[in-house]
Amino acid sequence: MNPKIVLLNIIVIPLIGSIISFFIGKKNEKLRDLFNVIMTGANLLLITSLYISVMNEKVEVFVPNIMGMGLYLKLDMFRYIFVWLTALIWFLITIYSTQYLLSYKNRNRYYLFFMITYWSTLGIFISNNIINLFTFFEIMSLSSYPLIIHDEDKYSHDAGKTYLIMAVSGGLVLLMGLFLLYDYTQTLDIDKIKYVIQDIGNIKYVIAGLMIFGFGVKAGTFPLHIWLPKAHPAAPAPASAILSGILLKTGIFGILITVEIMGLNDIYISIVLLALGFITMFMGGFLAMFQRNIKRILAYSSMSQMGYIIVGIGLMEVLHEHNAIALYGILYHIINHMLFKVLLFMSAGVIYMKLHELSINGIGGFGRNKKVLKVCFLIGSCAIMGVPGFNGFISKNLLHHALSEALHLYGGVWLNIGELIFVISSAFTTAYLLKLFVAVFVEKSDHDIANIKMKVTGRALVPMSILAAMIIFIGIYPEFIMNIIDKAVESFDIHDTIDMNFYSFENIKSSFVSILLGTLIYVFFIREVLKKGYGENWWYENTALNWFSLEKDLYIPFFAFIFKISSFVLKLCDVGLLNLIILINNGMSSLIKMPLKYKIESKAMITRKLNSISHMDESTGEYITDITRETKKARYKMNSITYSIYIFGVVLVICLAVLLYS
Amino acid sequence: MNNIILLPIVFPFLSAIVLSAFEFNEKRRNIFAGFVILINLIFVIYIVSSFGESSFHFIKINEFLDIYFKVDKLSIFFSLLASVLWAFTSIYAMEYMKHEKKEKRFFIYFITTLGVTLGIAFAGNLITLYLFYELLTLATFPLVIHSGSKEALKSGKKYLIYSFAGATVALLGMLILFSLTNDLTFVPGGIVKENILENKNLYFIIYVAMFIGFGVKAALVPFHSWLPEAMVAPTPVSSLLHAVAVVKSGIFAITRVTYYIFGPNAVRMTGANKYLIILVIISILMGSFLALHQENLKKRLAYSTISQLGYILLGILLLNKNAFTGAMMHLLNHAVIKITLFFCVGAIMYTTGKTKISEINGIGKTMPITMWCFTVSAISLIGIPPTNGFISKWFLAEGALLEGKVAFPAILLVSALLTALYLFPISIAAFFTKENNDVVVKKEAPIKMLIPIICITIITILLGLFPNYVLDFIRSMASEVMY
Repeated sequence: MNPKIVLLNIIVIPLIGSIISFFIGKKNEKLRDLFNVIMTGANLLLITSLYISVMNEKVEVFVPNIMGMGLYLKLDMFRYIFVWLTALIWFLITIYSTQYLLSYKNRNRYYLFFMITYWSTLGIFISNNIINLFTFFEIMSLSSYPLIIHDEDKYSHDAGKTYLIMAVSGGLVLLMGLFLLYDYTQTLDIDKIKYVIQDIGNIKYVIAGLMIFGFGVKAGTFPLHIWLPKAHPAAPAPASAILSGILLKTGIFGILITVEIMGLNDIYISIVLLALGFITMFMGGFLAMFQRNIKRILAYSSMSQMGYIIVGIGLMEVLHEHNAIALYGILYHIINHMLFKVLLFMSAGVIYMKLHELSINGIGGFGRNKKVLKVCFLIGSCAIMGVPGFNGFISKNLLHHALSEALHLYGGVWLNIGELIFVISSAFTTAYLLKLFVAVFVEKSDHDIANIKMKVTGRALVPMSILAAMIIFIGIYPEFIMNIIDKAVESFDIHDTIDMNFYSFENIKSSFVSILLGTLIYVFFIREVLKKGYGENWWYENTALNWFSLEKDLYIPFFAFIFKISSFVLKLCDVGLLNLIILINNGMSSLIKMPLKYKIESKAMITRKLNSISHMDESTGEYITDITRETKKARYKMNSITYSIYIFGVVLVICLAVLLYS
Repeated sequence: MNNIILLPIVFPFLSAIVLSAFEFNEKRRNIFAGFVILINLIFVIYIVSSFGESSFHFIKINEFLDIYFKVDKLSIFFSLLASVLWAFTSIYAMEYMKHEKKEKRFFIYFITTLGVTLGIAFAGNLITLYLFYELLTLATFPLVIHSGSKEALKSGKKYLIYSFAGATVALLGMLILFSLTNDLTFVPGGIVKENILENKNLYFIIYVAMFIGFGVKAALVPFHSWLPEAMVAPTPVSSLLHAVAVVKSGIFAITRVTYYIFGPNAVRMTGANKYLIILVIISILMGSFLALHQENLKKRLAYSTISQLGYILLGILLLNKNAFTGAMMHLLNHAVIKITLFFCVGAIMYTTGKTKISEINGIGKTMPITMWCFTVSAISLIGIPPTNGFISKWFLAEGALLEGKVAFPAILLVSALLTALYLFPISIAAFFTKENNDVVVKKEAPIKMLIPIICITIITILLGLFPNYVLDFIRSMASEVMY
């Protein structure tokens, strides 16, 4: 088949399929589930069939007229990695969802938005026009909202609100960047931008800043991560899995496109990215240790892993011609994180399916006898920790080597601190996963966990096993992925390949150092400080709850303040003119109401003139005018039309004055 | 045969007289009103398609008092927009007005207003435009005070005062302008060309007077407060007032003055746009901000209109092709979006009697189609791609950047964020908030109200996905007025 038509179908099938499945679902839910599985499976097959053609040459399709500028799709190996993994994971999660969602309401709605999110995510990864990319990005942001608030309770609405505001404002900031980008480059094709970007001067930093901000919101970059730890636990497990596994990657993909493909890069931007990456990495890992909700631990963990990737992106410019290793590390880590984080969220989902509880204080010791679940969870955890033999080991080593290389090239305090943060964050990773694993799967507890609500069948466990197998496979045979990445890096200005022996003594040693450090943190900090209680009656405390929170203590008060001030000022604009008129009117009328008293003796002249409209108060010898009464009457008699004539007169007088002046 | 231009303007008047003279029963009246508007739409299409650009002097007393009609690109654009939306509104109104009573009076003025609006569209010089502009105020006044309540009368009075005062100021500008140019005909690119520097101050005053004068109808801050108050009118009226007839007539008049009387270069030379833009920016921000504070759905939309009209005025005042394209696109897009939003709110009011945001929790389950259309329009109004609102925002922003003003796109985006903040909660409350009672009874709005809502929503979507047809037309208009 013509690869162009296949590429077009990849984007058309999920769109039409989501609508069809919605209408099928209204009649028959089982049929819909089957339809969705077949559809995502078929799409996965289509994408797989493109592998050969993409390996040879990139595939491009242009559909004119859509949105005025046309739809420009492109698939090269770099994008193919994202697209294929998205399709695979969506396929697995769709199978998983059919079981997970059984106890939920509004399933039809869920599937509709789930599939639209799928469609738009694929769209992001294959669009080659920055506006197309932005369009899909926004559709994805909005269509994932109903997934987050699926429970419709107070917590999920709160999380959804944060998510929506962050997503919309991120999108608008990104759009601002695109406005400027188009204004200065006059092109929207992602491939062409890099040829003109160098001539635009310092505005480059503004554009890069805005675009990194926009994509950074999705990638969960510090300090824009606040939605992430809230939204992930709120969503149902399959949705949190795609949020963490795929949606975060769209942000990363955007940043990669911005700084590498479009060439909006430069040493200053890299330094900012490095700093943000290190902070994100550290904060995510550090805060994850304190959490008690399984999904929140995993959410912070995702944030921390995104930090690794952003550090890698930052390193690319720093390393100049040696940057191949950083790019390999980034891509490898993206692949890995998609696999293991989805696996872990699925495991968390299995626990939730059975217990409807996610706090480790309530489910301690639940998994002691669940063999499959335990193994899956262990594989996922080992992968993140970077235990040799698992895929995380490979990518972390690549990134670590890139960092060491930068340290070797430049040295300096900051990079040393970075190196330290890298090791400590890896230790944190080990610590929080140990906490999670030991609490759920190893330790005995007196928690009441008898009520098993649902039998977990193969529909949930098979996808997890597939992911687990893949994790081990690409951990043991990294060459398999490395070959694909060799092709993928051609989209960047990198042509040297790297040859590296991953299972060297040095690498294994550094991996074990951070694992050991993590174990120490676990034993001496988490177990000693955070864990309370004795014997089987234990629980964890989250001492971080009352700490300074970016959202509660900074963003909300700040924006509330701005909001109040602007509301006040603008309300003044709203009613200002009216109040001014009313004020003048009242002033006039109070002026008129003032009784005019004249002494006969001294004001004889005026009284003669006023005689016609005034009468004499004989007893006091004063004239009290009737002007008040008369004008009052006249004022009330004034209807709208006469009033307009009155305004007409006033305007005429003013204009005459102006005319005379000019 | 150019006098056939008069037909779509006069025909509604005559029909309105027929409607008032005879006693129809409800069904016949609806059919009659629907027919009149449909035939009028056909007239407009006929004139637009067969005549192209043509003109016709109706009465010419002297150079000043010259009732002159002309068909050009802008009038084609505006007349088609008005006629099409009028047709949809009439279907909607047939059902909606049942609960407002006094339908006969409503339809008489409803049809008359169509004629007046087309008169504005086809006016060939400023004096004709002015006459129809004043007539529009008179013709819509009975619609605004339709319910006859004290509140309605009060807002009606306010509406009259504001409109007449505005028109007066515009007239003043017109008179001074005539004394300078001796000509008020609309010519693309403007008639004011020479002598601009000699009488710079005078031209400045003229432009400001006309802008503010016509800007009153376009709800320019601080002359906007009639608009939220006019919300007491029945929904079909407020949707038309907001989407096409009244506010857009103000915009249309300003466009005429700026691009067909003054011409962009002359306006730039007077420097008036720099000062007027401040008012426009305040309009944009104020409308969005205060919409957040409104609990009443219609009021919220009214304030939103103020801000959206600010977008259009901004595009007009930026005086370049991109901005002009953006402004005209937004004129169209805002019309279709806002009319749908109003229709949806009206449908909620009609079926459930609910008018406040706090009352509509879970209404998306009982009225799914209405709320889906509402949500699509809301997303369009925010300007999230691939909707039509995005297209106009894109051109406006590019136009602003062409002038080297980075602040304007930023303001547009802040306003877009605020738009999201005041529209999304409605959709969220409707779809994602649990009702207290579990029993969901589907009680969708009547079919006559749903058809216009669905049709216009489809138009909105199509305009967003395939804007090229309209865009090319507007671009040709833009290159006509600017070289």
